[in-house]
Amino acid sequence: MLACERDLAAFEIYCVSAENRVARIAYTSDIACRGVEELKSHGADGFALRIVVRRNPHEIGIATEAADLSVAALRAALARARGAALVDPHFPGLPDAPRPRGREEVRASAAASLMRGGDRALVESAWGAVRGALAAFAAKPARHPERPGLVLGGDVTVVRDRMAIASSCFNDVRAEAGAHFSCSVTALVESLGAKGTASAFGTMAAEMQRVAARAGGEAVARALALGGGERPVGGNYRMVFGPQPVAEILNYMVIPSLTTGAFQAASTAFHGRFGAQVMDARLTLIDDPGAARGAIRRRLTCEGLPARRTTLIEDGRLVGLLSNFYDSHRLATDEHRADKLGPLGPAEVAFPAASGYRLGETAARRFDAGPGTAATNVIMRARGGVSERELIRAVGEGIYVGRVWYTYPINGQRAGDFTCTVSGDSWLIRGGRLAVPLAPNALRINANIGQVFAHPLGVGNRAAPVLVWGAPEAYYTIALAARDIPLSAIQASQSSME
Amino acid sequence: MTASDLFGAAERLRRDGPGLLRAFVRSHRGALSADLRFEVMFSRSSSAADGEPRSALEGESAGFCVSVCAGEGSGASGAAQTGVELGRLALRSQPTVAAIRAALEEAYERARLGAREKAALLRTLGARGRSLADAAAAPREPVRDAVPAVYRCDPRALAPDALGRLCHDASARVAELGPEIAYNAIAATSELREELFIGSDDTLISQCFSFSQGDCYVVAQSGDGHQEIYDSIGQQRGFECLAEGWRDELMPNPDLTTFALALAGEARDLAAAPVLKPPAGEVTVVTDPHFNALLAHEIVGHPSEADRALKMEAAYAGRSWFLRSLKDSEVGRRVGSPLLSACSDPTLHGFGHYRYDHEGTRGRRAMHIENGIFRGFLNSRETAAVLGVEPNGSARASEVFYVPLIRMSNTFLLPGETDPRAIIGEVERGYYVCGSAVPSIAESRENFRISARRVYEIEQGRIGRLYRSGSVIADSKEFFSRIDAVGNDLRLIAIPNCGKGQPMQVKRMSNGGPTLRSRARLGGG
Repeated sequence: MLACERDLAAFEIYCVSAENRVARIAYTSDIACRGVEELKSHGADGFALRIVVRRNPHEIGIATEAADLSVAALRAALARARGAALVDPHFPGLPDAPRPRGREEVRASAAASLMRGGDRALVESAWGAVRGALAAFAAKPARHPERPGLVLGGDVTVVRDRMAIASSCFNDVRAEAGAHFSCSVTALVESLGAKGTASAFGTMAAEMQRVAARAGGEAVARALALGGGERPVGGNYRMVFGPQPVAEILNYMVIPSLTTGAFQAASTAFHGRFGAQVMDARLTLIDDPGAARGAIRRRLTCEGLPARRTTLIEDGRLVGLLSNFYDSHRLATDEHRADKLGPLGPAEVAFPAASGYRLGETAARRFDAGPGTAATNVIMRARGGVSERELIRAVGEGIYVGRVWYTYPINGQRAGDFTCTVSGDSWLIRGGRLAVPLAPNALRINANIGQVFAHPLGVGNRAAPVLVWGAPEAYYTIALAARDIPLSAIQASQSSME
Repeated sequence: MTASDLFGAAERLRRDGPGLLRAFVRSHRGALSADLRFEVMFSRSSSAADGEPRSALEGESAGFCVSVCAGEGSGASGAAQTGVELGRLALRSQPTVAAIRAALEEAYERARLGAREKAALLRTLGARGRSLADAAAAPREPVRDAVPAVYRCDPRALAPDALGRLCHDASARVAELGPEIAYNAIAATSELREELFIGSDDTLISQCFSFSQGDCYVVAQSGDGHQEIYDSIGQQRGFECLAEGWRDELMPNPDLTTFALALAGEARDLAAAPVLKPPAGEVTVVTDPHFNALLAHEIVGHPSEADRALKMEAAYAGRSWFLRSLKDSEVGRRVGSPLLSACSDPTLHGFGHYRYDHEGTRGRRAMHIENGIFRGFLNSRETAAVLGVEPNGSARASEVFYVPLIRMSNTFLLPGETDPRAIIGEVERGYYVCGSAVPSIAESRENFRISARRVYEIEQGRIGRLYRSGSVIADSKEFFSRIDAVGNDLRLIAIPNCGKGQPMQVKRMSNGGPTLRSRARLGGG
């Protein structure tokens, strides 16, 4: 139909069917609660139409439509797209690339149980997490006063989506489907002033039920081990950043700076430093949509282009950027690109559009989201890495940080300064060993990404999976030991919760 | 089909919905209640970057969410929701009703599944499961009401390029300010929503809203210095508030171009300003209404959400310094200076205005702090029952297909009677902290570090040198307790992007306050 419209030079139809199901855990031993607060879902099917008007190759119109995939809906969308057409002088045309090789659907068998699964597995998983937590808590009754103050929170979530894209620039219809689950449990034992967490993600329903029960028990076990924490004074500390803090800092401070869009907007923390040494030479950072153990599996981007592994930082050097199709061209044609990339930037700017995704507030594809840039499975690994025990020994006297939260660029993205609060799963290191639990919310980290990644004391040898709340990516990160990290003490408040 | 046809879909549901829900509850064993929220939205948006058009979109959408509570034989109950985006299918009655029926069945089965799992766990826990005993939500009086939207320029009737021209003009003029402006992006949205709430108890509420919002992001650089600023303006009005500005005592805004130019000028000045090297120890700080909007949001508003206080958000966003347990809370206790009062009020015409929440409860002013004494929380029907108070209509979802969560509306610190110039004039040596940027907070918000856009020295009552990268660090209760001056200059700020929940719900609201003076430490760059 669209090919017959004479005023169109090109067109693209992007269709998505997506669903997000969440069983939210909310249990408190001392306050009336539901245990599993609710099971909820959000289903969204629809399509987006992009048209390029024949009279001007830079004139583009966009319209979206929910639920109705009929020809009538397409005609209505076409009318709206025509009405909304504007001339963007930087519009490079619609993506055009050969079809990726391989099977039509990505690892369909691996995620089939999640793609097909109903509510029972999800409900049983969530209640299984609660059961596992309560069982672990009940196993140590001697430690509990009358009001134990056990709080369980978190969720078990299943995300699934199907995507198909057709374009006048392709000679085929490209399609993909995928699903993954995530499970996150946080346990607080308020009578002990302790907090422990456990999380997991994967692609199979049976695995989901197994890990959820285990996560509940693990979160409680960790919390029980962390009771009676100390509140150290502020100062510069030697620290081990566990995998979760490393993932948080990567998610909020590093990955957003490693895009062509951030370089073009002059807002990246690595402004003028493409090609330079931006991290320790032992560190490598990769985005891999095809990672063998990755929870996110993409063979196609939401622009119909091959989703490729992108090496962002190799042996500490900034060598790659995530990009969508528009931003790749925008940076390539930016008159200030030499300044923005820096003296070591490539003479010919050509960053592949291998990371153009249309995502909503969940990790699922959205029919009405414009192509942005996102990572998939973010993997940090290291040469010459050692065990966490070795890292702790290398620190000698300091702090092991297992969990942080509210990680933000306190002085803007480009400055690279961040702040976060040490919220749980943390210890004081004495004599090269984990000695005493650290009280939650006792310390705030005020540092710069350079202080974490530029000259670490040591790097870990095992990348662990980490969930970052609200992030569409899955993280697989090592632990790092660092020196001279500024920590400010959060004094035991007049309003202390413990 | 014209755009307005989709709004006719709500009319059909208004007629047929109540009967559909009543019949559902009657015919399904164990069904305790069912609610339906349905929404139609028309939206236009545009953006420009570095003086060039970037995007334009016109869309109409429709969707719904059903919530079902159901029990099983032992008395245990469960709750579930199903949210669906319908789009143009809402134009046709039969597929719409079929989709709603299917969603009701799905939510019912989920609720029953949950009830059975809970019952099975209770059998093994015995007395240890006492907190899992089902408690009824606070009752709701059936209500029927219709609330129109308020606007002059109907988003549906706007010229297709009206928003685009405004964004393009603003972005081009910002870019013309000079090479110090490394990047700018301007976006504008104007939308009309009709929400329908139908309960199985015969509640039927229609509420219409018009939202218009403008967003500006600027990156400035000067020598070795750089500064990024992001800010928004918005009203529950039509496009006129962006094109012409909005005169209002509480929440005025300039037109979008003027706003963008001011933001860019500020970014340029800050890029050239030195980084704050803070003094050791505490100082006197005077904080302006924009800074205090984030203070009200993070340190009063969020911890006043009853679900947070009752530890239901512990995994995502922490707890509340206002409540340690049901027997140990700050209710009735001093949390700040006698000069400090704070409330949430959806009846005010700010960005967070509404008449009914998404549980069909009428929204009303909730006092959080009164003359320094903590008074109470924002709540839902479920949490009101736990706390033993009346529901105050604070359960709202950001989109129709999501579950309602307890959210701020227009949440602010109340004004005093002092001229802000006098508040500054009385300071021998201190700092004037203007504009909020980024918060860092302890888990229960009992401590904070909030970064500011501009920090000025105050010497002998006069505003002096400008610095960037400054922030205010304090224990929340100490900061509030040491407030010794409260200005008469209350301002509300449009907050377009408060995130909460899993999945994340990004919600619009207003926050604000007057000029304040207190003591705190400063952080720098």
